[in-house]
Amino acid sequence: MTEPTRYADRPEWSDVAPIEQYENTNPLAPIFYTNEYKDATNYFRGIVKIGEKSERVLELTEHIIRLNPAHYTAWQYRYETLIAIDSDLGKELKLMDELAITHLKTYQVWHHRRLLMLKIRKPFPELEFIARTFKVDAKNYHTWSYRQWLLAYFNDDELWGAELDFVEDLLYADIRNNSAWHHRFFTVFQSGVHEGEEDRERVLKREMIYVKQSISLVPNNASAWNYLRGILEQSSTPYSKMITFVEPYTLSMDEQTADLVDLDNPPPSKGAHLPCALAIEFLADIYEVQGGESMLKATELWKSLGNEHDVARKKYWEYRIREGLRALQA
Amino acid sequence: MSGTSENFYLPSLARAAHAGHVKRCLSGLPDSQVDLDSGRMAIAFYCLGSLDLLKMVQERTSETDRESWREWIWEQQTSGIHGSGFRPSPFMTGSMSVEETRYTDYDTPHIIMTYTALLTLAILRDDFSRLDKKGILSFLKACQREDGSFSTVPGGGETDLRTLYCAFVISHLLDDWSGVSVERALSFIASCRSYEGGYGQFTHCEANGGTTYIAMAAIHLAPVTSNSLTPSEIRKTIEWAAHKQLQSGGFCGRTNKLADACYCFWIGASLKILGAGDLVDSRSLASFLASCQFKFGGIAKAPGEHSDPYHTYLSLAALSMFPPPISANDANSSSWAFDALDPLINAREETAKWARTHIAIRR
Repeated sequence: MTEPTRYADRPEWSDVAPIEQYENTNPLAPIFYTNEYKDATNYFRGIVKIGEKSERVLELTEHIIRLNPAHYTAWQYRYETLIAIDSDLGKELKLMDELAITHLKTYQVWHHRRLLMLKIRKPFPELEFIARTFKVDAKNYHTWSYRQWLLAYFNDDELWGAELDFVEDLLYADIRNNSAWHHRFFTVFQSGVHEGEEDRERVLKREMIYVKQSISLVPNNASAWNYLRGILEQSSTPYSKMITFVEPYTLSMDEQTADLVDLDNPPPSKGAHLPCALAIEFLADIYEVQGGESMLKATELWKSLGNEHDVARKKYWEYRIREGLRALQA
Repeated sequence: MSGTSENFYLPSLARAAHAGHVKRCLSGLPDSQVDLDSGRMAIAFYCLGSLDLLKMVQERTSETDRESWREWIWEQQTSGIHGSGFRPSPFMTGSMSVEETRYTDYDTPHIIMTYTALLTLAILRDDFSRLDKKGILSFLKACQREDGSFSTVPGGGETDLRTLYCAFVISHLLDDWSGVSVERALSFIASCRSYEGGYGQFTHCEANGGTTYIAMAAIHLAPVTSNSLTPSEIRKTIEWAAHKQLQSGGFCGRTNKLADACYCFWIGASLKILGAGDLVDSRSLASFLASCQFKFGGIAKAPGEHSDPYHTYLSLAALSMFPPPISANDANSSSWAFDALDPLINAREETAKWARTHIAIRR
């Protein structure tokens, strides 16, 4: 693959004085730039010095960000140029679609997109675009953060309308995707009341059923248990209300009683790995709150976790036992 | 059983090889890593920080090198309309002519690079007589936004919780908080707390190890005692963090993600700051990090991956906080010995002390 023609050799750039990067005799962690990068950034420094904002600056900055997507000044200058020359921002967004996939983990790519969206103000197609990037990496932090920003900023009921379905699709694909669970919590509980969600009792009940069914399917999923705790705390529901639901998950497969179809207390599904450490932990938390006699039951459960079901966290379970005893003595 | 040194085998920590790795990076990085161009000061910190934690700065670098590196860092200190601070590198700087002593809008200081510059100068035992302390206070002020967060550059759009942490450490080292509105910053941090008990990068974001560390460190550095955490919040954060140590001994950064060496620091330090450092299983932690050692030197994010200065530094920092319970009789034991680390500043205690002494604005 041949290197592109240097800006230094292109007559249409001859009016710009390139500026070499200053470097002293012993730089710290110098980068052995390619000639292509040196050439492009020399011309960028030259352009910035004279303050030019033109079409050719878009070509130059695109070249640089393709080589180094973290060059935040190139991004900054590019954005200012787009605005100064009244560029077609829709076209810019399409270019960003391509770059975003290649540089998913680069902060600047998403920041630039945010800036464009503040001007373009068409958030709908973004949801579709974001969904596509999730096929590449369903837990990408920047992407989720961008989606949350988009929804909260535009705060349009139509935008929110399909969000639960979207999250459910992702959870169906990977029930352990914590980013999706987090997003669900954000959508349902932390972004105001959306159209159709005004009956908060109904919403809470729906979420409880959803998370319990999820736990029933795959009990060993910390995301689901964290979500359950989140809902309970959000609605100031005591953990003890969950005792009937949780207990079967603390027993082995053999110890399960006849299965009942009970929407409020879906039992562990066949093939679930039992007993479930997360359920034992939850039950211990219930006993701990009850205090008194129940603290002994909590202690037994913490011991079983430290010795058998969650040995990796033995020190943590010892800490819980100590804290429990301290609370008893208080 | 855990915590004793019976039957506990740990290979040696290849200190010389890791020192070699960061030294090579200090001398130069290949063009494939050009994306580090706008963050060279941070890379310098991870490299020199690693040597400092290994106590090999004197041994592996010459006085000439250290002298010229200090010079290079000071060349990045720049003043202008928004105060003073350090650039990441001269990536937007042309010749150093006398007329161009003030920065333009495109060559401004950067908060994260200012933090790493200060720590790196402390590692190199600079006397900080050239530091424009008042200028830095103005710079911090110029970077703080309405919502309490800080942008990376004055008036710039990029922001996340990391910059807030840097602003707090800088204020702490200057022993002068007049450059930041602590109240606004603390309320921004609070808005980043998620239902899981950890903290996200912005309001409404998923709880993540790096940002949880930042929240904990910032809260504990802050001079005011109001707005600190309730006992139940502390407990919940401890619970979230403690669950991030996996069976391998490594830590993951978010629920249901894989272990990554850097989270051994971010989450480990969070627990230490909350007074729950003893909940970390230091034995399995060391085993995990031992397995992250790259055969050509340096420590990688996970076993079998390539190493880099960032993961090398943070792994060593984690080990400095949680030395493994290896018997003194074990031939490998000395390779795992470290000086204490200050988890709030993220530097060896001796270096942190030097920094505080020399950076503080004297009244």
